[in-house]
This record gives sequence, C-alpha cells and structure tokens, in this order.
Amino acid sequence: MVFNSYTFIVFFIIMLGLHNMPFSWKVKKINLLLASYIFYAAWNPPFILLLWLSTVVDFFVGRALYTEQNLYKKRLLLVLSLIGNLGMLCFFKYGNFILENFVTMVNFMGWDFHPAEPNIILPAGISFYTFTTLCYTIDMYKQKSQPVKSMLDFSLFVTFFPHLVAGPIVRPPQLVPQFETERKASRQQLLEGLFLMTLGLFMKVVLADSMLSGTANDIFGASGSLPALDAWMGVLAFSGQIFFDFAGYSTCAIGTAACLGFVLPQNFFYPYAAIGFSDFWRRWHITLSSWLRDYLYIPLGGNRSGTFRTYINLMLTMLLGGLWHGANWTFVVWGGLHGFYLWVEKAIADYRKDKVTPIESTPPGDVGVLGALPEIFKAKTLRNFSIALFTFFLINVTWVFFRATTFTQAWDLLTSMFGFSGDSKPMLTTLAIIKVSTIVFCMVIAHWVMRDKKVMDVIPTLSWQVFGALWALLLILLIWSQESSSSFIYFQF
Amino acid sequence: MPTNLMTKAAILMLSLVAISVVSWEYFLRSQGHQRGYDDDEALWAKNRSQVYGVTDKSTVFIGSSRIKFDLDIPTWEQKTGEDVVQLAMHGSCPLFALENLGDDENFKGKLVVDVTEGLFFKKDDDEAMGKRIKYLKDATPSEKVSAKLGMAVESIFLFIDKEKFSLGAFLDDLRISDRKGVRGGGIFPKKFAYVDFQRQEIMTDEFAVDTNMQREVTDLWSKWGALSDKHGVTGDTLQKIFTRVKTSVAKIKERGGKVIFVRTPSSGGYGVHEPISHPRSEYFDKLLSITDSPGIHFKDYPETKDFICPEWSHLSKSDAVKYTTSLIKIMENNQWFKTAN
Repeated sequence: MVFNSYTFIVFFIIMLGLHNMPFSWKVKKINLLLASYIFYAAWNPPFILLLWLSTVVDFFVGRALYTEQNLYKKRLLLVLSLIGNLGMLCFFKYGNFILENFVTMVNFMGWDFHPAEPNIILPAGISFYTFTTLCYTIDMYKQKSQPVKSMLDFSLFVTFFPHLVAGPIVRPPQLVPQFETERKASRQQLLEGLFLMTLGLFMKVVLADSMLSGTANDIFGASGSLPALDAWMGVLAFSGQIFFDFAGYSTCAIGTAACLGFVLPQNFFYPYAAIGFSDFWRRWHITLSSWLRDYLYIPLGGNRSGTFRTYINLMLTMLLGGLWHGANWTFVVWGGLHGFYLWVEKAIADYRKDKVTPIESTPPGDVGVLGALPEIFKAKTLRNFSIALFTFFLINVTWVFFRATTFTQAWDLLTSMFGFSGDSKPMLTTLAIIKVSTIVFCMVIAHWVMRDKKVMDVIPTLSWQVFGALWALLLILLIWSQESSSSFIYFQF
Repeated sequence: MPTNLMTKAAILMLSLVAISVVSWEYFLRSQGHQRGYDDDEALWAKNRSQVYGVTDKSTVFIGSSRIKFDLDIPTWEQKTGEDVVQLAMHGSCPLFALENLGDDENFKGKLVVDVTEGLFFKKDDDEAMGKRIKYLKDATPSEKVSAKLGMAVESIFLFIDKEKFSLGAFLDDLRISDRKGVRGGGIFPKKFAYVDFQRQEIMTDEFAVDTNMQREVTDLWSKWGALSDKHGVTGDTLQKIFTRVKTSVAKIKERGGKVIFVRTPSSGGYGVHEPISHPRSEYFDKLLSITDSPGIHFKDYPETKDFICPEWSHLSKSDAVKYTTSLIKIMENNQWFKTAN
C-alpha cells in the first residue's frame, strides 16, 4: 500500500479511529500489528511469510545472542542470523544479478552455459526490514541494548507500517521503548502529523510525480545523444524527483507515526545544501548512512587503523551502499563515485591537517564518516554556498549512474551534458524546461535557506493565518495535481 | 505553534480547501463540461475482466479511438440485447490486445477488431496497451481497491479528470511555444469528448458544431501526419504483423470464438490520404484474406459510406448512434449474432 492512494486514506482513517478507541494498550498494539501486515499484504500477500520468518527467527536468535556466554556458540548464532537475513536479501534482490554475472564470466572463460532465466520477484521493502532486523541481532551480539521482551513488541518494531517498506530505518532503542507504554497522539502531535503527511504527499505527488518525473523519464528513456540543455534538464529533473519522492515518503512516514503518537527518526535534512560529500551523507537518507557507518564502516576499522585503511574502508562502505540500492553495476559505480568524492574530501582535509576524532563506536548526533562538519563550513557565507553548488553539481553527475539502466545510456547522457553529443534533436518542451528549472532552483535555494532549521521549528514563527493558508495551498495543489497512486522510487530498493 | 493556534490554522486550511474545491467544481459545471472517467489501466482492466461473460450475450471490441467514438454502446446493447466490452484504446495498436485475448484459453467469445491502418500496421509495439496488460496481470490488491475508490470519487466530482482539469493540464493550456524540432504532445480542446464508465468516448454536442475547436483537432492530426501520403509499412515488418494477427485469430477461432474486422468511417484529410498511404488491397483486404475472417469496410455500404467526421476521424454522438444501428444491421446479415453451434 502506498501513502498516495485512496486505499491508504481509508486504511489510515480506520487505524486512527481504532487507535483512539478505549481499548487496552495490548489490544491497540495488536491492532497496529495486524494493520501493518495488511499494509504490507496489500502489495503482495505471499511475501508476508518472509516477513514473519525474519521476525520470528531474529526474535529468538537475538535473545539467544544476548544471553549466550559461549563465544563460539554466540558467533555461530550471529553467522546463522546473518546468513538468514542476508541470504534472503541476496536471493530475492541479487539472485538474477549474481546469475547473470556468473553466466557472463563462465561464457567469457569458454564454458557455453545458458541456464533458464529465473523469475524472481523482489519483495517490497526487503532491503529496509532486513537492515532493521540485522541491526537488532548485531546489537544483541554486542550487548549494546536489551533484548525485546515480548514477541508482540518485536514484531511491531520490525513491521510498524509507517517505516516498513521504505524506512526510515529504525534502531531498536529508537522504537521499541515507545511500545512499552501507551502512546496516543496529543492534539498538537496529531495536527503536526497531519501537516507532515500533507507536506510529504505534496513533495511526492505534486513535485516529484506531476512536475518532474515526466521530464526525467523522457530523457533517461531517450536513446542516443541529446542537446546539453535537454540532458541537464533531465538529470536535474531526476535530482529533484528522487529527493521529493524519497524525502516525501519519509515525511509521510514520520507524520503518520506522529498521528498515532510515535516518533520516527529524521531521514533527510536539506541534502542539496550539503557542503561536500561527508556533509551530504549527513543529510541524505540519514538512517541508511548512519546504519552503514555503524554496522559496516566502523566494524571495518573506520578511521582508526591508519590513513590507507580509512580510504579503503570509505570506498568499501560506499560501494556496498551503492549495491544496496539495486542489483546493477551502475549502482556500484554510483557508490564508487561517492567513495571517490569522499576520498578527495579526505585528502583535502588531511592536507589541511583538519582534526578528525577517531570514530570508535556509534557517535552521537550528526557525525558522518569523516567526522563532524568543520566549523568553517557551518557559516552561511557566499564561499560555502559556492561549495554547496559545486557539491550539487557533482551529485547530479552521480545521479546519472543511479538512474541509467546501462553504462551506454549513462555515457550517452554524460557526453550530452558536457556538450560532446554533436548534432542532436531537442526533445523537451519549453514548459518542461520551465518547470524543471523553476522547481530545482527553488529547491536548492530553500535547502540553503533552511539548512540548519527543521520545518516544525519554522512554523511557530508564522502567524496561524499564514500557516493555515500555506497548508491549504499544499492540499489544494495536491488535489489539483490528480496524480494516480504511483509507487515510490525507493520501493524497488 | 501553540495547540490552539495550530487548531485554528487547521480549521482555516479545511475551510479554504472546501471553498476551493466546491467553487472549482461549480465553475466547471457552469461552463457546460461533462463528467468523464480517467481511461486508465484500471478502467481497462475492469472491462477486460468481463470478456468471459456468456459467449452469445456479449461482444468484445478492440482497436483504437475510432471504435470508441463510433460505437454507441447503449444503442448496441438496446438493439442487440448483448453486452459490449470495450477494450479499444485511443492512439493504440490493437495487436497487443488481440494477442492477449488469443493467448487467453478462457476467451471464446465474439471479437470485433477496429482497423485504423496507420495505427494497426506500425513498426513498434504499443507501450500504452502493454502497460494495461501488465496492470491486468500485476495489479496489487491495494491498487485494485484504490481504483474502485477512485472511480467512485470520479463519479461524484467533475473536476477529477486528469487529462482535462489537473494542474498539469492547466499548465499545458498555457501553450508555450517550443524550440524548433521539439515534438510536443497534443492539446485537445477540453470540450472535444468525454469517456463514460463503459469506456465509450463521446464527442460533445458543442464540439460537433464548433468549427474552431474542430480546426484545433484537425491541425493536430495534420501535425502528426494525417495529410501524409507516405506509404505505410511493407515487406518483412508488414508480414510479421500479418502473421501475428493470423496466429491470434486462429487461436480464438479454434476455441469456438468469432472474429470480424471493421473499418470505421473517416473523412476530410484522413478520408483523402489514408487510402493513399494504406491502400485497401494491401492492408485491410489482405488482412481479411490472410486471417480468413469477415470484414466490414464503411465504404462498402450505402448507409455508412457518407458519414462526415467533424474532425476527420471520429463520429459525433448522433452519428455514432446511426453508425451503430447500421453496423448491427450489417452484422446481422453476416450472421454475427447467431451462436456458433
């Protein structure tokens, strides 16, 4: 079920009603759990079995990991859990990819091997809930938090519908304690939640789907070369689309949870105002980047094992982060480019002898893989804005690999963007160019202006009349756009 | 913001939204617009699921926009006592739909295939129809429920019509000129036609008499090649299309189904240039002989040969009734309504 559908409106109204009925907390939690299963099953009912399997296995393995004293047994349990979770992810998400690459490799080596094409359907949200359950078992292994006492709370932690399909990726300490005592949204929280849902849907439906997706699809679907203007507009359109699509989903998720009295972690913080790539990853898909930092980069050694290893760890983290997004080498290259940009940034920091504290364990707050943002980059100066624009330019280059399905397509687009396309026919209408340039310009400026502020912190500075009118405008545009319930881009990851 | 002010803002928001929606709806109704349905995958799939009705009680139609306009469903249903399952799609090649029905072992019914040569005989497969067939197979339970709820909302509000009254349609209406060489989409007059729940496309009475609006549409047809005499596909491409059609028709007939090809009226620019770009002997007539199927060409019958399409391609509402009546009569003479056994 997607947030931008009539089905969800009905589902959510029923849920809100049930959650505010005078039932016991346990009954309300059961309601939430059943609703979460319905939310998931509304996409493809059989895949709910995978979700159950993952939940049951990790609940018991997690508890055993926490209490087991024998190190060998403990390690065996962890390996079993990792094989179970990652094995499922590998089969469904990377099965085709692994087979394709294997066939290419053996054919190259002279073995004429052509197996039947497997027909594997990717279960929605498998990458997200796998990471949610993985961090639980790893935390249990390291005894970083207490095991969840009840199966009901653990199931709800894994399945809670606002975050289930596309995040934010939650950690046990962020959500599990919220299930221990009764939660009901205050009127303030309910209204804020409803506003966030409106804002998230506006971003997704009006900006991503109605205004930008068409141009991005046209340009990335074109074959051959394009004029530089068209190529850039297509890439900028995708840049805006993916932000509004995914940040819109996260905003809806946070708003939906708030309406029920729960708090989910923030997932985006004006990423296109990032000064450098370390800053970008503090602001883009925050819960994934912090997950990768805590469960991959730091265990690999992080920045504690010398400069060379830091570079290697950075690149490995970004390459695997790229692969997490999809089973295609283009995603790996996308991650690799980000890794390369981080290398350059680290080299500059090393050259300037910036002081970077070794990251020992999960750091608090907004610490990225290269440590906290240096003070010099915190001021809103013209110099920093120029660096932010340059960062945005480089990010757009990476999006080409993220969106293109083949390297040929990516190469065609890149050569077109930089004017090496030769004679080519214009494709985009003037209206499309106006829409993309206006929205992307406003988006970048808004990100810069709002760089350090949260939306909900700005609202109290407005009069209620202005806020009410702005809220109405978002909803009117949402109704007016009449986009059908298209899926969110991150569902495929 | 304190809770009391937040509540006031929410009330203001709801009031403004309600006023805007009601005013917009009232304005559109006062302008004489008619309620239509979004002719999307869900509506097509709803109709597609009805092809398994009692074989001698329904006829399935596939093709492009002409049969959607020219077949008046109430007239057909009233005069024949049979149901219509309209699966044609504007701007589309019916080959995909034909293959879909041919491959469906459970379809054993009567099928009318509308032939608009420029669309039927084309090089590429049809993405829009492919999307609909994919929806038929892959739609999730949530999508199906959403579609039903969406149709219920569409039946109440006139302004819920993406092609005509959405934000995107409004921006398109600004008609900003494009760079040379850009092939922009067509913007049809809002009062050209509307789609009803059975997927019939109905030309509005206002359009049928307004030559300015008609000119807007004929200009679009001209831009898209209506006045071109360029010969349609030939050689291997054409042969492959014939083979695909023949295979699917044979499958349907083997199961006891019936297939007939229909060429609906065209006039004006299309009337002059279509016979040149797609000579009947090379396309329509050959299709009938290759598939060994009956066909009805509007030029062959005195009651249908002189229809005038206001914008060269589709019949007005009143002419659609007349054409449908004539078509039924011709088909009766072809033993169409007689059960196979």
